[in-house]
Amino acid sequence: MASPAVAVEATVRLGEERRASASFWSDAWWRIRHDPTTMAAIAILLVMVVLAVSADVLADNFFNWSFSRQDLTQSYRKPTLDDPAFWMGADNLGRSQIVRLLYGARVSLFVGFFGMAVTMTLGVVMGVTAGYFRGKWDDFVVWLVSTLNSIPLFFLFLIIGFMFRLNAVVLPLFLGAFGWFSICNFARGQTFALRERDYVTAARTIGASNVRIMSRHIFPNVIPLLIVLAMLDVGGLILTESALSFLGFGIQPPQPSWGNMLSDAPNFYFRGSHLIYFPGILISLTVLCTYLIGDGLRDALDPRLRGSFSAGGAARRGR
Amino acid sequence: MGRFIARRLLQAIPTVFGIMLISFILLRISPADPVKLMLPSDAEITEEDKDRLRTSLGLNKPLPVQFFDFVVQSATLDFGKSFYYNRPAREMIFERIPNSIQPVLLGLLVGVVVGIPLGFVAALNRGRRPDHAIRVSSVLLNSTPDFFLGLLFILFLAIQFKWFPIGSMNVVGVDCVFCWDRAWHLIGPVLLYANGSIAFYPRLIRTEVLEVLGQDFVRTARAKGLQERVVMSGHVLRNALIPVVTNFGAILTIVFAGNVIVERVFNWPGLGRLFFDSLIQKDYPIIQATLVMSAGLLLISYIMRDITYALIDPRIKVR
Repeated sequence: MASPAVAVEATVRLGEERRASASFWSDAWWRIRHDPTTMAAIAILLVMVVLAVSADVLADNFFNWSFSRQDLTQSYRKPTLDDPAFWMGADNLGRSQIVRLLYGARVSLFVGFFGMAVTMTLGVVMGVTAGYFRGKWDDFVVWLVSTLNSIPLFFLFLIIGFMFRLNAVVLPLFLGAFGWFSICNFARGQTFALRERDYVTAARTIGASNVRIMSRHIFPNVIPLLIVLAMLDVGGLILTESALSFLGFGIQPPQPSWGNMLSDAPNFYFRGSHLIYFPGILISLTVLCTYLIGDGLRDALDPRLRGSFSAGGAARRGR
Repeated sequence: MGRFIARRLLQAIPTVFGIMLISFILLRISPADPVKLMLPSDAEITEEDKDRLRTSLGLNKPLPVQFFDFVVQSATLDFGKSFYYNRPAREMIFERIPNSIQPVLLGLLVGVVVGIPLGFVAALNRGRRPDHAIRVSSVLLNSTPDFFLGLLFILFLAIQFKWFPIGSMNVVGVDCVFCWDRAWHLIGPVLLYANGSIAFYPRLIRTEVLEVLGQDFVRTARAKGLQERVVMSGHVLRNALIPVVTNFGAILTIVFAGNVIVERVFNWPGLGRLFFDSLIQKDYPIIQATLVMSAGLLLISYIMRDITYALIDPRIKVR
């Protein structure tokens, strides 16, 4: 039998052989790297981001077809390999679908990520301050959240879309302004628990200001699960944007978005089903990737939750 | 119990006030002038005529007075006449309600009947193949936009296999509510409504069943020699079904949002369709009425959820 000291030494040496020291984040990254599903989802999303960013370059130099260029002789052309511009066929006005999809990717990804940034900022600021200060401010935030939660949000977005002509910058601002409740509730709940911790009391005794305690001692401890919620939120926002654009109250033509490319779907049933498949599949694929990344991140950041499935639960449709 | 209900109703008052305030502000900041919308643009109309119309609509009163009028109107459900059809908005909404309720209820029924057993199967086979299959399909359903799924149903099930028609409520010339013709038309919308619950319930039930299975009373039931069947139906199922009742509000929000989309995809003349059409026609009274009434319904469903929760689970009242 080895003495305890030897055992400890052996453990220490074993640890040294594996990694010098594993911080929380490097440990999480190690887990993500060894999770093929999440890595595949990240890769697909990255490819989409690159394609969306280079949409202008590709349209000018490779496809030689701008997103608004029409050629009525090509209308409803089926997908063909002959001409790069018609790899995914042409729509009712003879516009190249693949180029329009590239520009649509821009809209979807921008709305998703920018909207998420708005949601996160509002949700965290409101949630952390409400949980930290409590009292009147907390009552107000709770009232605001429960009030806004009782309004059917999708109807509200439709009304906003009807009153203002929305573009890809204004739309995510609105979506974010009415989409921060679940983030706020989460941050508030976490802050309630964290503000009673000893290290917060310690920080207060040495004279740290409220802002410092919130930003340096409370916020960092909320981050891990917030990242997960953020990814789920991106997916939810992309879905909402596409639904609004589909109904004609989101991104307005001629600016192409995956949702508004499907607004005329009834005209495509018999003549051009490829005009329905491609945008729809791209929306589903993008949202699926964000949900899978969200799930993968959650497993990596909090392994206790592994196996429970949450994808899209919190974020979808603000529901 | 009476005190609990009374307190819950009192709590709803500030929420109702908030909903009214937000709806009012939203509809007043709209850049579209209702007077301009009501009058034909080509007719010769003097400023005097416009003023008279404004006075009759109460639009020249001070804003607080207008808000008070708005509250009174909402309380009596008197939203004025539709600009487009010159009929009371309330009447138009009430006659559409039966059209919408039929597919919604059937869709919920199908969703519950399919979704709950799926969640049970997933929980009892935790980590094995059925669990994974249900999990993957749930994530997939969650990341597919409803309108795209509807379009796929139409392309494959309606056009390819001719299982059901691609839209509308009855064959032209037939007008019936409970007959084969209506049943045939209902298949598509019901499937699409059911999708929301089928994506939602398995996740919920699975988590809940796993939690209940770990409880002491389940171990006791097994230890005293009860048959597994009795333990499952009497102890586990009963407790796992609590969130189905209490999450009805969440499902209702999904239905509200889905309503507009389902009725647009399948051209179903229900409430969502009325709302969509009135947005296109800028028919203010109906937009306003739909927003207020759906917010009211949602709030009532939340209150009923809390009350049923307290009835089922007495621990809640203590809080």
